Amino acid sequence: MTEQLIMLGLILAKLGLIFIVILTLAAYLVLAERKILARMQLRYGPNRVGPFGMLQPLSDLIKLLTKEDFLPAAADKWLFLIAPGLSALTALLTFAVIPFGPPLEIFGRTLPLVVIDLNIGLLYFLGLSSLAVYGMALGGWASNSKYALLGSIRGLSQLISYELSMGLAVVPVVMMARSFSLTEIVMAQAEIPYALLNPPAFLIFLISIVAESKRIPFDMPEAENELVAGFHTEYSGMRFGLFFVGEYINLIILGSMLTVLFLGGWHGPWLPGVVWFSLKVLAVCFFFIWVRASLPRLRYDQLMHFGWKVLLPLALLNALVTGAILLWIGQ
Amino acid sequence: MATWMFYILGAITVVATLLAITQRNPVHAVIYLVNSFFALALLFFLLGAPLVAAWEVIIYAGAIMVLFLFIIMMLEIAPGVEADRYGPNWLQWLPILLLAAALGICTLLLTGLDPVGSNGVPHWYASPRDFGYALFKEYALAIEVVSFQLLFAAVGAFYVGRPERKSKSPAGGDR
Amino acid sequence: MLENYLPVMVLIGIAFAFAIGSVVMSRLIGQKKPSAVKLAPYECGMPLLSSVQERFSIKFYIVAMLFILFDIEAVFLYPWAIMFKRLGIFGFIEMGVFIVILLVGFIYVWKKGALEWEE
Repeated sequence: MTEQLIMLGLILAKLGLIFIVILTLAAYLVLAERKILARMQLRYGPNRVGPFGMLQPLSDLIKLLTKEDFLPAAADKWLFLIAPGLSALTALLTFAVIPFGPPLEIFGRTLPLVVIDLNIGLLYFLGLSSLAVYGMALGGWASNSKYALLGSIRGLSQLISYELSMGLAVVPVVMMARSFSLTEIVMAQAEIPYALLNPPAFLIFLISIVAESKRIPFDMPEAENELVAGFHTEYSGMRFGLFFVGEYINLIILGSMLTVLFLGGWHGPWLPGVVWFSLKVLAVCFFFIWVRASLPRLRYDQLMHFGWKVLLPLALLNALVTGAILLWIGQ
Repeated sequence: MATWMFYILGAITVVATLLAITQRNPVHAVIYLVNSFFALALLFFLLGAPLVAAWEVIIYAGAIMVLFLFIIMMLEIAPGVEADRYGPNWLQWLPILLLAAALGICTLLLTGLDPVGSNGVPHWYASPRDFGYALFKEYALAIEVVSFQLLFAAVGAFYVGRPERKSKSPAGGDR
Repeated sequence: MLENYLPVMVLIGIAFAFAIGSVVMSRLIGQKKPSAVKLAPYECGMPLLSSVQERFSIKFYIVAMLFILFDIEAVFLYPWAIMFKRLGIFGFIEMGVFIVILLVGFIYVWKKGALEWEE
């Protein structure tokens, strides 16, 4: 009985910790992004709220909560209400399969550092990321505003196009690890991360996840100087906040997936696994911010051309070539 | 327990599908249909076919329903044509409840697979590996036929959506 | 058994609670002063010029259609990828033929200009 209680406590503690860490990380990622962007543009960035602006996320939260949360008269009320929730929900649920450290030994029992190690974990991620488009699509449509609708149609088209190359870029990973379980994929990278073994797949996946995160240079769904704010033009208050937080949680998740699939997950010398994992994820997030500071937005036709005419054939070819090489080595 | 889950999931699927075909608002219908596919995927999971469950979500809920949404958006159907004056009415929350129920069962399923097998795995369980092997070993010809079907679909889709010759694309072509 | 499904259930519970709770909080705390102008669709400060009833390029439909086809292909690639060692040369050729046939369709559509967005 006490054993079970201890186990229960450990699990709850783990989940609570995961959840708090993710939300805090998402909130501070916003701050970090504003700071880093500002520095890259020779500005200061937020530095008034608390020391170095460290309390900025808190004040943002209070601001969002106290803002008026209104329903546009022309909107489809029901869809308008659930769209932001959907967007945050799909992002949060993806975390269930991401292993962020080797199994931990506490009080003489092992505690796996993953919420659940599904044997189809990779497909779970792909499935949820294909459902993630609904928040954006429904939000834009339900607003009944032309900017929102344009943003969501563009975004839908972009997300599905890059989802293809993302899905195809993980095929070589499955071939090399011969498993869909993310934990086993990380285990298989103990010696050498797949980013080095198969750089083309890594690059294709990297570009695709930048597009999936709807950020510059692929921020067509919310291109603010064309579409005001894109699909969430009509949203205010905490419902806008949910879209916003969902976007940053999504960023962390995509960073974690890149880490798990290509950067060797928690493997690394000297430091404990969890630290390595966090460092890698943060590095990927920094890369995202860096990209945003450096690159201009693509034109829509360039975006679609690149996805369909370059990334997709490359990803297919890469899958076939990897298969051929692995078979040839195996002979 | 597995039998109960089967019936609950089956009921959710049927109710969601019925709601989908009785909705007047096409986008709401799409949501109910996604719901139904989700419950269907869980049914496959329950029956020991995790790969098929994943396919159901990725292809049906994630790709085909997106196409439906696209078409509805392009058919110029604006939301809120029907009167919903005072915000949502409570019946409209049904899909969320359905989805929540489905998700709840999903969680039970993820290990609740126990009732059928002794070690948490039903004896008819088709692991992704076995499934892939059987599919590509015994149904090789079917796979190639599927690829031909996809080829025809690509050509057909292009001809349905092909712009008329010698005329500019519809007003405001690029967006 | 408990330790297996409990985490997911709790995670789902937390996720739902977070999504619903934050919106409810915002509705309770936030002020409410709706007015007809405020609830109108945003139009950069102008009165509404035209409704959302606009036509979209048919290209979006073709993209969605091609997406389904390639998604199905990708989905066939996964079970092959996990078992390709045991399936050996036979499986590889099988998959190669599968991809090449679909690529023929892709190249055809490409050459016919379905992927061009400029015009």
